[in-house]
Amino acid sequence: MNAFDLTEDQQDCLQELINVAMGQASDQLARYLDTFVYLKVPSIEQVKAEHLFDTLNYESDATAIVSQGFFGYEGIRGEALLMYQPKDSHRLADLLGYEADELTFDEQIIDLSSILTTTFLNVFASQIDNQMSYSAPRLLSANIGKVNEHIQQQAFNWDLALKVRISYQVTDYSFNCDMVLLIPEAAITNIKAVLDRILAEF
Amino acid sequence: MLDGLCDKIINRLNTGVLLLDRNFNILMWNRFLAVHANQHDEQVIGKNIFQVFPELPRKWLERKLSSVIQLKNQSFCGWEQRHHLFELAHSRPITTDSDFMAQNCTFLPIEEHGQVTQICILIEDVTDIYHYQTQLKKTLQELALSNRIDGLTQAFNRKHWEECLAAEFSRARRHHSSLALVMLDLDHFKLLNDTHGHQGGDKVLIETAKAINELLRMGDLFGRYGGEEFAVILPNTELSGAEEVAERIRQTIALKAVDYQGQNIGITVSLGVAVLAQQDKRYEDLISRADNALYKAKFSGRNRVSLADAS
Amino acid sequence: MSTNVLICDDSNLARKQVLRSLPESLSTDVKLASNGEEALAILSSENIDILFLDLTMPIIDGLGVLAALKEQNKQLPVFVISADVQPEMQSKVLALGAKAFLRKPIQIDVLYEHLKRHGFL
Repeated sequence: MNAFDLTEDQQDCLQELINVAMGQASDQLARYLDTFVYLKVPSIEQVKAEHLFDTLNYESDATAIVSQGFFGYEGIRGEALLMYQPKDSHRLADLLGYEADELTFDEQIIDLSSILTTTFLNVFASQIDNQMSYSAPRLLSANIGKVNEHIQQQAFNWDLALKVRISYQVTDYSFNCDMVLLIPEAAITNIKAVLDRILAEF
Repeated sequence: MLDGLCDKIINRLNTGVLLLDRNFNILMWNRFLAVHANQHDEQVIGKNIFQVFPELPRKWLERKLSSVIQLKNQSFCGWEQRHHLFELAHSRPITTDSDFMAQNCTFLPIEEHGQVTQICILIEDVTDIYHYQTQLKKTLQELALSNRIDGLTQAFNRKHWEECLAAEFSRARRHHSSLALVMLDLDHFKLLNDTHGHQGGDKVLIETAKAINELLRMGDLFGRYGGEEFAVILPNTELSGAEEVAERIRQTIALKAVDYQGQNIGITVSLGVAVLAQQDKRYEDLISRADNALYKAKFSGRNRVSLADAS
Repeated sequence: MSTNVLICDDSNLARKQVLRSLPESLSTDVKLASNGEEALAILSSENIDILFLDLTMPIIDGLGVLAALKEQNKQLPVFVISADVQPEMQSKVLALGAKAFLRKPIQIDVLYEHLKRHGFL
């Protein structure tokens, strides 16, 4: 157990906060997109910088990854990665309510990513009496080879991150995507303090 | 007092600030926008955004803005996907080639009592970023190209040519398609260098490469293998087709005279041809069989095409 | 006479939240389950008067529990307490026989109202 490990109670508390945020976010999404979003139990684990590429690659043969930074009060910050699979791309514009020729594929997934990230994190933040700001979403690459290259070329200034993975399944469009929140170690300590405060209320 | 101060600051920002009501009418804009759009307040305030900025993609933006209202989320539009939304003049009119300001736009919901009452659009000028990124991309492309090209002859360099061959070799194996290789060497090049100097030799190499290049099809891969040795990969080509190409190269070069400082330099080439065979375990095996054929051509009198043994 | 309550949620925190929200006037005997499988086991061996049920859970989820109860024809009042508040999910749950749908995090006044409506208060 290291200083950044969550205790069982902290893990449980974070999981429940995420559950509630997921629920409300997908309700908003379902209303906005006019479809049902299927929810699975999210996974929470630690990942080492040198294994980030392996875990991302292992979990999905994503064709495109969109990154968006988030930051709130009390030093809560991190990066959300939205990962898409190639077979799911063709009905995106339809899902988002755009005409297919109005915007490029890149723009579609950036748009959807931003909606998924901000909807979820806004609810999450309000539960911990916080408020999030966001950087502009960026397409890391629309090609998995390039994404690997991109991640491998990075010299990270963190060793350990808290990784939260949430799967979205939009049944009507047989569309899936994974949202991976990565919280660097400095912010983990801050999250732990927030979780302890909530746990103390019980 | 603080309100007045905020106004002053907003009007000094180097970012456009545009405030809309739920019907997309403009409630407020700052000086940055007024200056770059070159319009007066009375032409803008109270008017619909699509009337003031007819260049906006209406359907798309309406959907985007309604998502901000409905989801109460901020939304973005970056220059990498859309160079600009608003046709605004920018502050690098002299040193860049952009017509309009490259923009990062952020759409912020402004809430009152849990309802989005207004939308604030922030418009950042990223013309510099756009400009430098574009230049960087161009430079990287040039760099990638120069990594593959032999500077003197403009043929592929040996390293890249071998990578191509390795890829073609495994592709042909996978698809059971044919693959041919032509290796060629300038005859008596050392003598030519001694007679006309290295600059004369270089001129011959350049002209020879140019002549060969003109004879090849799209998809053929032409490289400089060594000093005066060249090589051509012919994908999907049988032995007879490859022999034809080799023979055409031989004739063209033999008929060609390179003009160097008023002198005509005559040249010939020897060529070896091999096609992918069962026994080739690695692409290097194919090279060495073509190379052997080339030496056969050399030893049997030069200026000729020689075929590799099938086994 | 005390009311036998079963709270089924994979989150310890969520179970505590429900437990803490139960009215003091209701004298209760509370059992806890952390997934649908555990809940069904308790339900088959004990007399339970009311079930508070989460939906998103490992092994057997809330929908699975509701379906099993329906199949066993068990007339047990089930209050679903879930974060998944999409309208489609709410109607699915009610169609499977749940008496109420409460959104997470649980609000005490909403809970009381439902308890009153079903004669527990």
